[in-house]
Amino acid sequence: MSDPTLLEIRNLGKRFPARHGREPSPWVIQDLSFSVGTGEFLTIIGPSGAGKSTLLNMIAQIDTASAGEIVFNGETVNSHDARMLRPGFDRRIGYVTQDDNLLPWRTTIDNVLFPIEVQGRLNDETRAQADVLVRAVGLAGFERYYPHELSGGMRKRAALIRTLAYDPPVILMDEPFAAVDAQTRTQLQADLLTLWGLGRKTIIFVTHDITEAIALGDRALVLSRQPTRIAAEHAIPIPRPRNVQDIFALEGFAAVYQRIRSDIQ
Amino acid sequence: MTRWRTYTDRLIVLAVILAAWQVGSFLVGPYWLSSPWAVAARFTAQILNGELIVQGGYTVEEALIGTVIGGVPAVLLPFLLRRHPVIVAILDPFMVGGYGAPKLAFAPLFILWFGIGIESKIALVASVVFFIVYFNTLAGVRALDPRLVQMAQIAGAGERHVARHIVLPAAVPHILAGFRIAVPYAIGGAVIAELISSNRGLGYLVQTGAMNFDTTSVFAAILAATLIVHGANWLLNAAERALLRWRPPPRAVLETGT
Repeated sequence: MSDPTLLEIRNLGKRFPARHGREPSPWVIQDLSFSVGTGEFLTIIGPSGAGKSTLLNMIAQIDTASAGEIVFNGETVNSHDARMLRPGFDRRIGYVTQDDNLLPWRTTIDNVLFPIEVQGRLNDETRAQADVLVRAVGLAGFERYYPHELSGGMRKRAALIRTLAYDPPVILMDEPFAAVDAQTRTQLQADLLTLWGLGRKTIIFVTHDITEAIALGDRALVLSRQPTRIAAEHAIPIPRPRNVQDIFALEGFAAVYQRIRSDIQ
Repeated sequence: MTRWRTYTDRLIVLAVILAAWQVGSFLVGPYWLSSPWAVAARFTAQILNGELIVQGGYTVEEALIGTVIGGVPAVLLPFLLRRHPVIVAILDPFMVGGYGAPKLAFAPLFILWFGIGIESKIALVASVVFFIVYFNTLAGVRALDPRLVQMAQIAGAGERHVARHIVLPAAVPHILAGFRIAVPYAIGGAVIAELISSNRGLGYLVQTGAMNFDTTSVFAAILAATLIVHGANWLLNAAERALLRWRPPPRAVLETGT
């Protein structure tokens, strides 16, 4: 699955700078290395406070790294200096955050089209592609609604397809389904797998939910806490397409689940 | 239902105010305090003969031009300085000073500098409106959710896109709130500048009415100024409804109507 390496994280470290006479913080993330192949669905499991969002923020280039480097397709991203940051790394890294961050003054369809619009690629073709995504996640009929008129699950779907619509080669996802109820979450996971099956993007999906990490990923990394390091790595030997609803019953699930849980403890 | 209830209750409040005024006028005598009935009659007559329309028109013109001259830079400045917090910090004590200084006390100076024509009134109105709108716009620009800006940057938005699609729409409610506060001050500022020195406008009517011990005419001019503020407020409400359709409806507590 992980053919050519697309994104490589090398000895990445993060500590927050000294401030108001305080010492610099201890290392939050230290000596973290892993790589992601083209088209791979990588999940990262870590307990709360394990620096998962900080890790994704550094990869997305909205936060600086204190040590190490990030290599994208052979190109080294030097991000020790905040002024050198290139958020989204020139549209090559999409980021679905925990909050949906929909623009409240834009309707569903205008939110989905926002990246395409600022990239100057708005035309009949891109509109049609966005329409396909809107229908695929069940938002048809809600195109002209404002975010406050949508349910939490619908807002998540809109935020998800906003990133998919402009087609960045890598997508980071930071517990995007954490704040919705269990049933909606299962539905959103199934939607995500369907959409991923269409385009096979490279996805790094961060979660604290072991079941979610197994249901979605090709491979799962387990993070330790304070400082954050990679504690273990597991291939997920469950064949696709997977039925997210019955994931517990699938062969191989129980074994992987047990191993990941013991790693976390 | 509740909407009509609000209107009928307002009429009751109005009747109570008018009744109290009428009783007060009867007690102290119409020479000191004109009666509501006389004011209404004078007001109607001065509307019909065009006097209030012409003089009110001058006042509205001064207030409108002054609001534009003061309001436009007050809206633009926080946007231009958004990426330069140091400059905002340097300017801050001066802006606070300008906001706090009693601008009406500047009226004689403005008359000295700009003459007794329309220019001095516009200058006074602009100086009042500028600081109110500036601080509201600044608050709007500062209240911006940085996560929305990051989302836009990751999606490929440049600085101009961020200003146009994120900062501006987020600040619009604050800008409108600024103008809502500024408008009564704009009308009031124009009237007071006219009061001090002018041969036209509602302030001039107040001034001549007072000199002639004609309280009816003073009240008629004040009533006209009040109705102008109501009209401006109504226009701002309409603008708000059109521009802020995206906002969730207020959780029905009070009707802040016209």
